[in-house]
Amino acid sequence: MNIYGLFIASGLAVGALYALGGVGLVLLNRATGILNFAYGALGALGAMLAWQAMQWGAPEPLVWLLPIFVGAFFSLAFGRYIAPHLSQREPVVKAVATLGFAIVILGFMNLIWIDTPRKLSLTTDTISLNFAGLRVTLTRLIAFGLALTVALSMGVFLARTRTGLMMRSIAADRDVAALLGTPIRRVETLAWGLSGALAGFTGLLFGSLVRLDPATLTFLVIPMIATTVVGRLQSIPITFVAGLVIGVIESLMTLYKPLAPFRAMTPFVVAIITLMWLQRGRLLTFANED
Amino acid sequence: MKKIAVYSASLVGAFMMMTGGAMAAPSCGLSNGQKANGEPIKVGAIVGQTGPDDFSSSGDAAQAFFKCINANGGVNGRPIEFTMEDDQWNPEVAAQVGNKLVKDVGVVALVGSGSFVDMAVNAKLYADEGVMSMAGACAISDCYESSNIVTAAGGPLISSVGAAQWAVAHQGAKNIVCVTTNIPTSGIYGCSWMQKFMENKGLEASIIPLDPASADMNSAVLETIASGADTVLVNMPGGMAAAFLKVAEEQDLRDNFKWISSTPLYDADIPAALGKYWTGVLTVNAELNPIDGTGPDTTNWRAIMETYANEGDPRDTFSQAGYLAAKYFVEAVLKLDPADINRASVTKAIQAISGKTSDMMCGPYYVGLADRHLPNHANIMMQLVDGGFKQVSECTQVDTEYLAPYLAIEKEMGISN
Repeated sequence: MNIYGLFIASGLAVGALYALGGVGLVLLNRATGILNFAYGALGALGAMLAWQAMQWGAPEPLVWLLPIFVGAFFSLAFGRYIAPHLSQREPVVKAVATLGFAIVILGFMNLIWIDTPRKLSLTTDTISLNFAGLRVTLTRLIAFGLALTVALSMGVFLARTRTGLMMRSIAADRDVAALLGTPIRRVETLAWGLSGALAGFTGLLFGSLVRLDPATLTFLVIPMIATTVVGRLQSIPITFVAGLVIGVIESLMTLYKPLAPFRAMTPFVVAIITLMWLQRGRLLTFANED
Repeated sequence: MKKIAVYSASLVGAFMMMTGGAMAAPSCGLSNGQKANGEPIKVGAIVGQTGPDDFSSSGDAAQAFFKCINANGGVNGRPIEFTMEDDQWNPEVAAQVGNKLVKDVGVVALVGSGSFVDMAVNAKLYADEGVMSMAGACAISDCYESSNIVTAAGGPLISSVGAAQWAVAHQGAKNIVCVTTNIPTSGIYGCSWMQKFMENKGLEASIIPLDPASADMNSAVLETIASGADTVLVNMPGGMAAAFLKVAEEQDLRDNFKWISSTPLYDADIPAALGKYWTGVLTVNAELNPIDGTGPDTTNWRAIMETYANEGDPRDTFSQAGYLAAKYFVEAVLKLDPADINRASVTKAIQAISGKTSDMMCGPYYVGLADRHLPNHANIMMQLVDGGFKQVSECTQVDTEYLAPYLAIEKEMGISN
């Protein structure tokens, strides 16, 4: 058994989760210009409701579908009724509004589900195959496959389809896009819905693979954002690769004892180094006029 | 970090149904059924309610006990006005609420606190202001190394060493790896003394510290495999521990190691959360005796929680510790002249507590005038069985050099533990 192979396989499994989250964030940002801090909270809500449905004896297909609809519903609600009021504000104001939304959802979850150890067990957790000596469950393979599929399809969708072009034009300049006749509400609604559905499904996988805890799942958005920073909030392929690379580096750090306890900082260190490299010789501001 | 231990009320209810006994009437203080109407005695508690985990069950139990006291004659006619503050696991907030309770509200004592930060932040304040904290849930070393803080719970060190000691004696453990949080005064504090215990026996031990924020339990499991240990000691809050054990299950490691844990996994929700895979495999240390015990204190604690606590308040080890703290506090102040109950007299009364025995604890509870307090240094082991736990060891004194100063204090006080 090659020890490096084991840790790389393990890192890819976690990296796929970062990548999946990062891709959903970039998708919304490219379509609406909003960095959605509530992405993790939407996923957490989906995962908690899926767990609750499971406790009530709901059939497993429903358990898988529920978070997708829950994520899409709440994301749409925010995108439809709150985000348009902030359309003229700076990107940082929009981002902070989503942070507020995340805190509201988290507070709601803490109210409903008192803090206690829970486990979200999916049938796919029980099916596994051996990869480089590591047993990889079907849930992890789904996460990896989904991240890859979403990254590829969303990349193509944004770059090659008419709706994708409209999304990019809105993100680039909402007013100009409106003047050109882009159906802003319809396109933004679609982006919020897609991103929310992805957030819900990511939450379900995270709930099963990481920890079924509202706060943990809500704040996993932070390392996800680190992957999007590497992709400069624009590039879906770079974000995807960044997620995987961060996962693998984080895992391999386990082998180096002095750094092992600090490996949770990997996403941020990678993001900071990338930012410094990308911003060399330039003035960084929150807006995109730099 | 996750909840250290939460037992559902349903388990207690199920137990009561099984034993066929009706819930006994709660008994507390004067037990005269008369509402106390005198001048209130101000008592406080600081709990880590919101934050990484809800760590407030000891405060909830103290609150329930004081409600019972107020409905039963109070402290010789004086009711207890109990103020419970949330430190949000934030040292700054802990300092604020500590100052508020001690300096602004003017509490005579703190009873039933449960926190990861209060004891570290406020130990000096309590000492400087001459106020005692009879805590419930203590997860950090400061709780056991301060002159004005005492608790009935043994803490992560006593629990970790107790678990290791059992594994060495009953499972032939020769090399233990302790998987824990990277918090120096909590996880590392417990595991490093477990390591010393093993080294003193000529055995091996290692520590895998984890960041509670880490999403990656896979690497921790791989590190565990690479450690070369024959026994895994899980010393983490329940949620983290459940996540770690889930990944270990994915890798089908059950039969590769012996599995033990400190108190956090002695939790009624854990058997369901972990599933059948760990049945008969995982053995957990409990700092206090089983919650479904039939002794007078355990029965009365359940009755008080049933009558005076909220339905959702956990019935767990730390709830038991909060009950004991409140009970011993009331017993101490009942001896005082009701007109002369102030901080100085209460502190003196608490420091005079000695030789209190309970079916909840393996040894006596005492306070005294020492610069540190750790009355509870014996515990039991509970094995995960189908849907619950079964006790697999009797009360055992924990064997660690850490206890040397405490045993010297006990000798000086004439306490045989």
